[in-house]
Amino acid sequence: MTLLERDPKSPLTWSGNLPVTSRYTFGLAGEKFFRAIKDEGKIIGSYCKKCDHTYVPASQFCEKCLAEVSDWVDVGTIGELHTFTVLYEGYDGARLVQPEIVAFISLGDGGLIHRLGEINLDEIYFGMPLEAVFLPEGQRQGSILDIRYFKPAG
Amino acid sequence: MNERVAIVGIGWSGYRSKSADLSYKELIYESAVKAYADAGVDPRKDIQSFVTVAEDFHEGTSIFDEYTPDQLGAALKPVHTITGDGLHGLATAYMLVKTGQFDIVAVEGHSKASNILTLPEVTAYAQDPILNRPLRFNTHFVAGLEMNRFLFETGTTQEQCAAVVQKNRRNALNNPKAPYGADLTLEDILSGPVLSWPLGKRDSAEHSDGAIVMVLASESTARHLNDKPIWILGMGWCNDSPSLESREWGELPYIQKAAQIAYRQAGFRNPQGIIDFAEIDDTYSYKELQSLEALGFCLPGEAGILTEDGATEVDGELPVNASGGSLGMGHMIDATGLARALEVVLQLRGEAGLYQLEDVNVGLAQSWRGIPTTSGAVAVLAN
Ligand SMILES: [Zn+2]
Repeated sequence: MTLLERDPKSPLTWSGNLPVTSRYTFGLAGEKFFRAIKDEGKIIGSYCKKCDHTYVPASQFCEKCLAEVSDWVDVGTIGELHTFTVLYEGYDGARLVQPEIVAFISLGDGGLIHRLGEINLDEIYFGMPLEAVFLPEGQRQGSILDIRYFKPAG
Repeated sequence: MNERVAIVGIGWSGYRSKSADLSYKELIYESAVKAYADAGVDPRKDIQSFVTVAEDFHEGTSIFDEYTPDQLGAALKPVHTITGDGLHGLATAYMLVKTGQFDIVAVEGHSKASNILTLPEVTAYAQDPILNRPLRFNTHFVAGLEMNRFLFETGTTQEQCAAVVQKNRRNALNNPKAPYGADLTLEDILSGPVLSWPLGKRDSAEHSDGAIVMVLASESTARHLNDKPIWILGMGWCNDSPSLESREWGELPYIQKAAQIAYRQAGFRNPQGIIDFAEIDDTYSYKELQSLEALGFCLPGEAGILTEDGATEVDGELPVNASGGSLGMGHMIDATGLARALEVVLQLRGEAGLYQLEDVNVGLAQSWRGIPTTSGAVAVLAN
């Protein structure tokens, strides 16, 4: 049902856009987490004693009991594959020439989302150990991209 | 206020894959005047408060809520826009009547999805900007990860997910509002292009444009307005921790909690045997199965089997998405949950036409706010 009969020569639409650029502050825990990646090639979490829960990435507070968390723990660079997917579309919705393997890797009681590398699809299984592959020390800038990907451990 | 609250008016425009002829204001206007005529109310005199549901980035306009009053007849009246799914809007309108301060309240939700020319990027902008967005993954990866874990934990199969697509798109053939009706074989669905394996493109709902308006009233007022009031027996909503790093991947605890809240208000614990039919989230095929389990209609791992056995068909034990759902009608972005609720109202009024279910008295609507969120809502409605 339409309310209007349009003149085919009339202007139909107007297009607009907006450059959106924002700055995102890492915060106290985020800074510790990304400095450990950048300076030491380590993945750290934070431990809530009351809940016996290790947050990865490190968090300044416990979302379960809302206590401030101040015990920082090195959780190592090897986690377990919790779930994975093979992504066929890019950020803008265009079809990817080379599909990407994306996974959630459990570390502590949390984990990280990242891509997998040096791996064949048919060797993937739930629970498999995966190891973070870091950029060389001088190239790391303190971001999630300092980890290039996770690969089968060992 | 202990009075019950009823939905006394409904109106919609759409749904269509494109709506090049109408502006969003005209879509909303068309729905609003239908809903007001249906309820027998004059919006300028009778409706005391208005709720709208919208997201600035989906509208392409900052502070979009400023653009909602005029087409609803809401200028110089209390109006507020909430961000969330349409069912959150219905819950808000319900609460406004429950306060006892307003007898008649309207709620509006709409989708002009076809005008969002960069929807993948807009959705990706909802990813965590520090932990996830720098990886530049299309946001469907979240659904792919969730589906794969759900299949792993419950033993559900891709074929069972495809059976949801087959059912809902066939149901849509009987619904004149549904633009995506189709009679597909399981093979058609399973052999389609992959989106984020194990998720196929055909497991994922297309979008549609449209608008929905509902009028709610307190019990004493409702009795004067409409001979088919549809009662809200319970409404619950719940949000999990949004982070991809701390959420559950195989199940939907926030839908479970939202359902428990709604069921408690409605006075029951177990929906089996009480709810006659359901209109639930099927943004992705597996979501219908995962949601059925979270809603307590069956145990984890059973929803796929029940679907294959036909239990959720229009002539099954619990018809699910008889309207065609989002897979058949198109995903309506922020209005999706309101679209599900509208279908429940039509069924309970006996106005669903070709897809009218027999002997239905209590229906359930459930929604999810979409990737990458962990927000959902549940409504229990009765005639
Ligand atoms: Zn704690």
